[in-house]
Amino acid sequence: MHSTIRPNAWVALKLPSGITKVIQITPNTTISLGKYGSFPANLIIGRPYHLTFELQDKLPNENFSRLRVVPTSELYAEVFADEASPSCSTPAVGASDSIISIADGEEFSLVDDKGNVVARSNREVIDDSARQTLTQDEIEELKRDGSNAGKDVIAKLLLSHTALDQKTSFSLAKYKLLKTKKYIRRFQVLPIDVASFAQWQLEERDANKILDMRAEMIGLVGCWGNVHFAGEDVLLRDPNAAMDQGEEALLPVPQEPLRGRWLVVDDTCGLLVAAMAERMGVLYPEESEDAASGKTEGQNGESVDQAQQHPHRPKDSGEVANEVSKDNGDTEMVEADAVPSASKTDWKPKQKPRPSDFAIPYSQTNTITVLHGASQANLSLLNYWGFDITSPNHPPHPLLNHLMTLTWLQLLKPELDSSYSTPPPTASAETLASWKPSRRGNFHRKRRRFARIRHIVDTTRAGNFSGLVCASTMDPISILKHTLPLLAGGAPIAIYSPTVEPLAALADCFSVARRTAWLSGDVPEIADLSVEELERWPGNERFPLNPTLVQGTSIQTSRARHWQVLPGRTHPLMTERGGPDGFVFTGWRAKPAEGKVAAKGKFKRRKVGSEGTENSSMRAEVGVE
Amino acid sequence: MAATKDKISPFLDPGPCTKPNSLAILQLSRDNLLPVYLQVPSGEHDGYAEGAVVNTRFGSFPHSTMLGVPWGSQIRASKVDTGSRGRKRKREMTDDPGREGTGASGREPEDLAGAANGDSVVAVKQAVADSSGFIHILPPTPELWTTSLPHRTQVVYTPDYSYILHRIRARPGSVLIEAGAGSGSFTHASVRAVYNGYPTDGQPKGKVFSFEFHEQRYHKMKQEIADHGLEGIVQLTHRDVYNGGFLVDGKSPEADAVFLDLPAPWEALPHLSRRKPQTSRDTSDPTTEAGWVSPLNPQKSVYICTFSPCIEQVTRTVSAMRRLGWVDIDMVEVSNRKLHVSRERIGLNLSSDRGVNNSPRDVEEAIARLAEIESRFREHAGQPRRADDNRDSEEEEDQPAKKDDFGAKRDVNFAEDQSSSSTPPWMEGRLITRGEPEIKSHTSYLVFAVLPREWTEEDEAAAAAMYPCGMEQKVIGTVDKAARKQERREQLQQVQKGNRKARRKERDAKLAEVSG
Ligand SMILES: C[S@@+](CC[C@H](N)C(=O)[O-])C[C@H]1O[C@@H](n2cnc3c(N)ncnc32)[C@H](O)[C@@H]1O
Repeated sequence: MHSTIRPNAWVALKLPSGITKVIQITPNTTISLGKYGSFPANLIIGRPYHLTFELQDKLPNENFSRLRVVPTSELYAEVFADEASPSCSTPAVGASDSIISIADGEEFSLVDDKGNVVARSNREVIDDSARQTLTQDEIEELKRDGSNAGKDVIAKLLLSHTALDQKTSFSLAKYKLLKTKKYIRRFQVLPIDVASFAQWQLEERDANKILDMRAEMIGLVGCWGNVHFAGEDVLLRDPNAAMDQGEEALLPVPQEPLRGRWLVVDDTCGLLVAAMAERMGVLYPEESEDAASGKTEGQNGESVDQAQQHPHRPKDSGEVANEVSKDNGDTEMVEADAVPSASKTDWKPKQKPRPSDFAIPYSQTNTITVLHGASQANLSLLNYWGFDITSPNHPPHPLLNHLMTLTWLQLLKPELDSSYSTPPPTASAETLASWKPSRRGNFHRKRRRFARIRHIVDTTRAGNFSGLVCASTMDPISILKHTLPLLAGGAPIAIYSPTVEPLAALADCFSVARRTAWLSGDVPEIADLSVEELERWPGNERFPLNPTLVQGTSIQTSRARHWQVLPGRTHPLMTERGGPDGFVFTGWRAKPAEGKVAAKGKFKRRKVGSEGTENSSMRAEVGVE
Repeated sequence: MAATKDKISPFLDPGPCTKPNSLAILQLSRDNLLPVYLQVPSGEHDGYAEGAVVNTRFGSFPHSTMLGVPWGSQIRASKVDTGSRGRKRKREMTDDPGREGTGASGREPEDLAGAANGDSVVAVKQAVADSSGFIHILPPTPELWTTSLPHRTQVVYTPDYSYILHRIRARPGSVLIEAGAGSGSFTHASVRAVYNGYPTDGQPKGKVFSFEFHEQRYHKMKQEIADHGLEGIVQLTHRDVYNGGFLVDGKSPEADAVFLDLPAPWEALPHLSRRKPQTSRDTSDPTTEAGWVSPLNPQKSVYICTFSPCIEQVTRTVSAMRRLGWVDIDMVEVSNRKLHVSRERIGLNLSSDRGVNNSPRDVEEAIARLAEIESRFREHAGQPRRADDNRDSEEEEDQPAKKDDFGAKRDVNFAEDQSSSSTPPWMEGRLITRGEPEIKSHTSYLVFAVLPREWTEEDEAAAAAMYPCGMEQKVIGTVDKAARKQERREQLQQVQKGNRKARRKERDAKLAEVSG
């Protein structure tokens, strides 16, 4: 993935102002960068990410700006100059009535075609010489943003300081003027992956939406949740149920569900799910597609163009995931066909027999199961990776077979959920044949929906999950109350919270004092409970959770501090984003031994207590003995 | 006892239960972890009739009691007979929670093999549960390994590596270059990140190419990779990368991401170029430009992170990166804090348990007590003296101490009254969080950068031919006000025209294009 910018890809455009624009690169459109100008999208499609492009002036015979790739020698020309002369001038601060309005500290430098700086200047110099040598008209021109003329005037000014202009014929073409941020018409294209997207969402879009989850937290939660690729897909056989068969023909739920399944509570609109899917290798379409298209692009356009002449539409596809046949998306597609779009070549139908209604499309491992409180899971941010959870007729996407969602009601009281408890429609083959296609379609859709919900709910309830990862606004204690029984022994738990309080309350449920009391045998309410009953302990006020079910509890926070690294001017940034720092609770699902278990080493505890009377006597440590 | 090739690493799939000859992590207490390779008992081992035994200050744990149990199990200590053993190896018995039985990492491999095969089959004694003591047994993960591994160097811990791997885009299928391997902490975390199956029939898979020039560390790591079933997905090379670069068997790993934890990253950077760098330090190198092979993936942007404790190292690294064409250079420092949660129990009416501060909880409580003391004092001490009006000043000064005595007595009574109340001690007081007594305030500076793929004029010409300009129909991105208004108007019209179904279709078509 992400080898070159593909048609219709979501990308982040990094502008000179430091602002990022996230847009979808539609072929045959003009991309506008506001005051920096605009250019045809086709000039960046098929090009690599991370290059720095510069908008050029329109050629006389063209009505659009072309782009130039800015070499790094030019990007860093000023730094290199600074490195060469360690006693670099401090930029002027606070000079008033500037002729050219530039921010403090900005500098211009003139570079020759080999990247050598021939002249450098700060605002003062420009202002002074401008006043001396320029006409009012020229100054006006100079003030105009982004105009090449303005650039030329500054270059002229700088060159006049070097005496080069007297020797050589005045040829600006040989020199390039480097200006700082505000004026330069440069931009960079970054791929939309979880890291870049999350940063943009956090810093420029709406941090609230992702519960202020910083990169540090995404990394920690993913690692402590041990989220990783869990193995090749395992698909259940198609039960090939007849149309007159109902529930009884469903596949039985596997006795011991496979590992490699993660349970998730996500109130970050899908960012957490995206981060996990990325770690599990199910966020981006198959690598091979990319490689293939990369190859074609590298050679010539022909083979791709050929493929374009036979665009396949989803209606031909027998994919399980495509429920309703698509009859009329044509107008859009036809238009788009004019565009050489590599992405469409992926639409070749696989000539597989259509699976039956009760076939389960989900893999049995390497999956994400999302528990949600609303009737629909809100995973809207997955749209940036081409996945729309609300779409009933989804084109192929790896998440289709690896992401399952269910409500808390379906998990805990499935009988109250009508989509779970309403039996599927049945019909004899003859009746079915007599129906109109639309009614038949409806019939099949209902049956498929039923089989899937049953599968998701029943396998989730069967538990044996490999990990629990949360970023939720709900009380983590209540989440654990209902999910702890579903976790396999040794499964990691990683819970993110923007603030520490909910996590502290959670950790307190597993305090040494609580655990000791629980194990003391003096808790009347658990006296006669079996191991299974203790695992499903419903909680009360004294013991909101069974304190022996989680081991190694810990809370942490991380913060990455950014630095500026420049010759002679290296220091941490002066300001950074504030707001919630973010915290992560971690622990492991334990399988307590049956019966009373006493801790050894009591002597040790007492010793610690007496030693630390002054500073630690006021608190009882929470954690593992 | 190297894991057989067809076995998946316990780090990647530990299975439901503990297995013989596979790594398990014993959690003795919260931060006290012990890696162990569990062995099937096959007769007396090391003087123990139960076979191999792990001794800790939480009790003795024969391997036999820890085999075949579900991960996460709480294991009771056993009564073991240390009779003969105690005599034989007295000098080695220390208070330290036995770095003994640490398995392959602490022993000679032959020793383990012998124990596992056990040609001399002697009856193994059944372990008998002890009355107290327990531990938990956890499946190995990079996080647990990082805190329990045998340290041979400084290592990269979870707060740093979790952030690094996120930022260098190490994902299933990525190829990652790492130098030096050191103690293998980062190696374990990174192989989990890039793992997308073991390579079979030449299919490229995610992989870590690791380099280490210190011979002993190299051999230790090599053994660990085998013991942990990571062969095939971690490839360790014994090399000085400053001079030798990163090719393996003369071929390019085609790396997508690089992590350098070396004293002088700038010495290694020239090798991590797209073309033979002009600034290469060995200008005498006869290799021609044409013969030079880049270790990087030619199709993609490559992400790098270097890890250096000193700012001078950063300056040199960043300078070298700029000259070698790396962009988006960003330096950060990650600081991590663990928080301890506790109950701050302050109050006069709390039990006098350990950990309780029996001083007033608030002003009201203080006043109540003072008033109480005052009245008692009057009651008690006042009466006999009431007639006697000329108390001398000395006595006056003595009074505060005496008063407090009354107070103290009173408090004890008070606390006793309360102990029968409903609040259990673990719910008393205010819930607080505080930092650890000692924090790691600096680990290292992290320098991140990206090297875009090469883009030649031919590449550009091919792309330009494939995506010609001049057919632009509409404007996207930042549009000026007029254009935005116009667009919104058009959108509205569409919404009015089409029904919901049509909109849905449109969206699906869009999605199809994106996901393709
Ligand atoms: C701090 S350690 C790396 C620790 C490792 N990242 C971890 O997490 O365990 C640095 C290692 O780099 C190795 N090293 C130093 N210079 C090297 C070179 N030029 N080539 C290969 N390895 C080198 C050292 O032997 C040492 O083991």
